Amino acid sequence: MKHFILNIILFIAAFFIIEKSSYYLLYKAPEKEIDKRLEKVINGDLNKELIVIGSSRGAGNILAGQLEQETGLSSFNLSYQGTNIEFHDFVLTTLLKFNKAPKKLVLSVDSPHAFFKEKSLDFRVDPLLPLSGNNYINNALIERGENNILSNFFYLGRVSSNHFSFKKKKQRPDNPIDAFGSMPLLKKSNKGKALIFDSSIMGYKLSFESQEKLQAFKHIQELCKANNIKLVCVFSPSFKIFHKEFFNRFKELLQPENKLFVYNLERDTYTDTNYFYDHAHLNIEGAKVFTTELSTFINLN
Amino acid sequence: MFFNSIDFAVFLPIVFILYWFVTQKNLKLQNALLVLASYVFYGWWDWRFLSLIIFSSLVDYSIGLALKKEEKKSKRKLLLWLSIIVNLGFLGFFKYYNFFVDNFVEAFSLFGTKIQPNTLDIILPVGISFYTFQTLSYTIDVYKRKLEPTNNLISFLAFVSFFPQLVAGPIERATNLLPQFYKKRQFHYSQAVDGCRQILWGFFKKVVIADTCAEYANQIFNNSADYSGSTLVIGALFFTFQIYGDFSGYSDIAIGTSRLFGFDLKQNFAFPYFSRDIAEFWRRWHISLSTWFRDYLYIPLGGSRGGTWMKVRNTFIIFIVSGFWHGANWTFVVWGFLNALYFLPLLLAKRNRSNLDVVAQEKMLPSLKEVFKMSVTFALTVLAWIFFRAENITHAFSYIKNIFTKALFELPLVRPTNLIILILIFISIEWLGRAKHYAIETLFLQQPKVLRWTFYMFIIACVFIFSKQEQEFIYFQF
Repeated sequence: MKHFILNIILFIAAFFIIEKSSYYLLYKAPEKEIDKRLEKVINGDLNKELIVIGSSRGAGNILAGQLEQETGLSSFNLSYQGTNIEFHDFVLTTLLKFNKAPKKLVLSVDSPHAFFKEKSLDFRVDPLLPLSGNNYINNALIERGENNILSNFFYLGRVSSNHFSFKKKKQRPDNPIDAFGSMPLLKKSNKGKALIFDSSIMGYKLSFESQEKLQAFKHIQELCKANNIKLVCVFSPSFKIFHKEFFNRFKELLQPENKLFVYNLERDTYTDTNYFYDHAHLNIEGAKVFTTELSTFINLN
Repeated sequence: MFFNSIDFAVFLPIVFILYWFVTQKNLKLQNALLVLASYVFYGWWDWRFLSLIIFSSLVDYSIGLALKKEEKKSKRKLLLWLSIIVNLGFLGFFKYYNFFVDNFVEAFSLFGTKIQPNTLDIILPVGISFYTFQTLSYTIDVYKRKLEPTNNLISFLAFVSFFPQLVAGPIERATNLLPQFYKKRQFHYSQAVDGCRQILWGFFKKVVIADTCAEYANQIFNNSADYSGSTLVIGALFFTFQIYGDFSGYSDIAIGTSRLFGFDLKQNFAFPYFSRDIAEFWRRWHISLSTWFRDYLYIPLGGSRGGTWMKVRNTFIIFIVSGFWHGANWTFVVWGFLNALYFLPLLLAKRNRSNLDVVAQEKMLPSLKEVFKMSVTFALTVLAWIFFRAENITHAFSYIKNIFTKALFELPLVRPTNLIILILIFISIEWLGRAKHYAIETLFLQQPKVLRWTFYMFIIACVFIFSKQEQEFIYFQF
């Protein structure tokens, strides 16, 4: 028995050393990332007056640098491609935890998917993984079932396959992140398939909605109210299509103190393929036009 | 309590210390500690169902004692039936009540009669199928005078509720496990180390292989209408490894934990995916259940003693009952039926006992013929698992139908390269250890300690890296 206990203690001690040395992987992981936005958030480096949150439409259609110039408010874009409203809620909560509250928050609305149960938009955990060395982020990963509760005690529990890639990530040449956090789409549409809208999602039923997503939207509005932030919800252009049923539903859910901005439906730009990347996303030229529209609205409100 | 939880990580060392350092000198106390620990382990999940285990144990203990005194055949038979009715009654109520009611209603609706179903909101007690079979085996063995009934209540309670194997097996026979509670256990360094090694490998199978495969298998099975061809094949393959890693991983942890306490449980999985025919597969998959059905159902039904028709009938009965044991769903029945169909040609050709040895014994690699046989058996198994995993029969058939499309020859839409590499490494390790009780039983054992420990640490690191939210073991639902 003595021999067994001794070996177990020795083994645990050796494991302890190896376990603790895995901190190196956690420490090095953020250095390889190109997208440093979330890192800036948790480091408290994002004390801006205007913040944009959303998914790919927020990231590509709203140019935070241009917004800063046109509104005079220091701006930053914290939109992440492919993310849902629960993720946007997480970004805002994290921002407010580590930084000063912005004066204005622009929420880019994913019409009509924002509250859908389906998972084309998701709570993306990959932006969080390189930062799992941070306790706050790790707790968020535990909450999402991505990390085990043991990761509170063992660094190895925070390590994922992401940490074993030692190459520095590269900017995507056609979709880079700029200094203001926006991710403009530099290519034009191929004028073919990409501009065809999926007409099967034109209808809208309450049964489509996920309670968690509705709750997240409610929470975003509550946070804005509690922190005295002016919330502007933005419907950005889709090619030749406007989802009226969803728009009406969204208006029902929006609290009266918050603003709603819809792109100019009459504008020729939004029926011109030269300004689109695909049916739901503007390219950089379209984004410039749309951002100016948004700036005007923000200046007036 | 799950094996893969912090609760168990705290629970196990406490019980181990109390077992070997506090109660070691007194056998009764040591057994009482095991009973208490087992009840805590089980009650952690839902303490209300402890009463079921205790009741089942007391019924079979009393019937055992009554059988000891009773010589009259008719009365002995009555006692046996009493045990069967009580045990299977509980199992039937908790597991199959709603299934039978639903099917009854559906059958009547075919004749135009509508019945308002009176289904109940029943929670299935974890492990009921396992401990029911374990206690039943005791009574049947006592009835058949293969086993002397015990008058040691604590030992009997410990035998029924022994925590390492209580909720998902292996289903131990009283003839093997019960006598181990009668004698003083000695601590053996080699046995304890071997136990730790097997626990480690069990965790690797569960956390690294099964839970990772589950992510993709669930994604594909839950959205199977969105996929076709090769992606559905990948989904079925991932489920094949998920269920093996999950269940055999549990068995490894159970057997390894038992060894820490000086107990030897029977091997439950013997590398079934290296089988050369279905008969061999069933000698290697969930051995404790297969042999239970063989001894307590197949042989009493006449086994292989009768003519061909009798053998065929009995084979179909045990496979279908075995399927139904897994769950109250027609998918399990079809899974059992399909396996019986696979078995039939071997039975008719009298070749069901032709592969009794280990494949490619004393050789590094199998012959081409062996590779072919293993591949065919594996493919048949994968096909059957689709029924096991599907939500219902319609889902299973549409899943299979959608496999055979043009997309079968395209690259799968879901192809996690890292996981595929991991599975290949896993298969290689399993292949190297296929003649042992578990794959890493002797791996690196002749190598220096540094190398051995590095390997074990690598496995632990993998477990940590791959561990996500605690995932329930599949067989808990059975």
